[in-house]
Amino acid sequence: MFDFADFKESPLMLGLAALIIGFVVIESLFFMVKAWRRGKEIGMTTEQLKNTVVSSALFSVAPAVSILATVVVLASALGIVLPWIRLSVVGNLLYETTAAETMLDVLGSNINTEVTNETDFAAIAWVMTIGICFGLVIVTLLGKFIIKKVTKATTKSEKGSGLADAISASAFIGIISAFVAQSINGKSSDGSSDAGFMSIVTLISAIVIYLIFEALCQKLKLKKLELFATPLSIFGAMAVAVLLNMYLPETITSFTWWG
Amino acid sequence: MAKVKKQRDYFDSVHIWGRVWSIGALLVLFSMPVAISVYYNAWPQANLLFTALLKLIPLYWATSIIEVVTFTPMLGAGGAYLSFVTGNITNLKLPCALSAMEQAKVKSNSEEGEIISTIAVASSAITTTVIIAVGVILFSPVLDDLRNSEALKPAFSYVSAALFGALGASYLRKHWKISIFPVFVGIVVLLIAPTFGVSTLLFVTIVAAVAGTLVLNKLKLVK
Repeated sequence: MFDFADFKESPLMLGLAALIIGFVVIESLFFMVKAWRRGKEIGMTTEQLKNTVVSSALFSVAPAVSILATVVVLASALGIVLPWIRLSVVGNLLYETTAAETMLDVLGSNINTEVTNETDFAAIAWVMTIGICFGLVIVTLLGKFIIKKVTKATTKSEKGSGLADAISASAFIGIISAFVAQSINGKSSDGSSDAGFMSIVTLISAIVIYLIFEALCQKLKLKKLELFATPLSIFGAMAVAVLLNMYLPETITSFTWWG
Repeated sequence: MAKVKKQRDYFDSVHIWGRVWSIGALLVLFSMPVAISVYYNAWPQANLLFTALLKLIPLYWATSIIEVVTFTPMLGAGGAYLSFVTGNITNLKLPCALSAMEQAKVKSNSEEGEIISTIAVASSAITTTVIIAVGVILFSPVLDDLRNSEALKPAFSYVSAALFGALGASYLRKHWKISIFPVFVGIVVLLIAPTFGVSTLLFVTIVAAVAGTLVLNKLKLVK
């Protein structure tokens, strides 16, 4: 099942995955039981609490599939265990992909090329971990203070929180814009994935599939299915790339702006 | 009086346990790179690490501050401690908690909201962890075949385009006014310097996005 001879899938890596994933599940159960007991104490019904568990689990299925897609995608460079660990604790789709891409870029590689050297692999693990840990540090140190103070401030100033939302969204848009621009006219360090016909069509396919699926869900009043829009459009766009490569002449599919 | 005291006891206990688990999570989190480096005697060059971290930390850490300040009051104490350990907050935990509170008709700043949010985030974390683990176990036997297949090569060569097209679609649609400028800036920068690495390009586009948002806000085109 796993290639134990490959350092990326060694028993050490699997042991670390078991430790970290076990930690996350036990912490989640701890807080769930604690909240459940308190809920019963203050008169909340078992049905209300059960409904929350079931609806939240269902809500999480599609995003979890989307996260799994990222694990599989990152696996081509990093093996499957490191992305599995990083996306099971603290991390998220965008940050982990960006952190891995950044370190690979510094190492003169990219996400489409397999890492075959332990030191490069360790460097990626360090960067992913250090990059993402700060939120957890702040919550640990200041969580109580922030909950008390910020709740007051945000309820007082609706206008201010609107701008804060826009700036927060713009940081994400800045990240996405860099990758979108790279898919439109970027040049990879090893020339394996220069922008051109295929990258642009793949990008546009992902956007179009997402928007069509979302519009269909809204029109047919299947709001819950909207959660599947992201994984469906990732896999859909990848399928479009495969099909175009099969059926279009090579002169078209191999066209890049950089020759 | 006794009711208020019990409520305070519950919140205090959530904060104490939240800190204990978060410190534990940090230890567990760092155990991975430490174990890899020690076991394989693979210590990366400090200058390479710093180069990458210098590009990431200003962005990640600044965003972390914004996330903690913005999301913590919405998630409540238990939900926040749990979310910042289990990750995937914006794309999963926060919408999940908000949806659960709306369904249960409770407010996020009430004790009922605190309970529902915590249970929602915990359920979501367990579900996600199980789905990813099952998926990894199912995918790992065929991963090499997938990677080495000539037919599937284009899918993996243009995965960034598929991933960020999909992730970006909803953001670009909802916030199209603030999206045009950073994408345009990114394209222009790449026209001038095509081999500009994505890590450096990120800085330029984020600054462009934030500056563009502030200007549009001044012009009252974005609230």
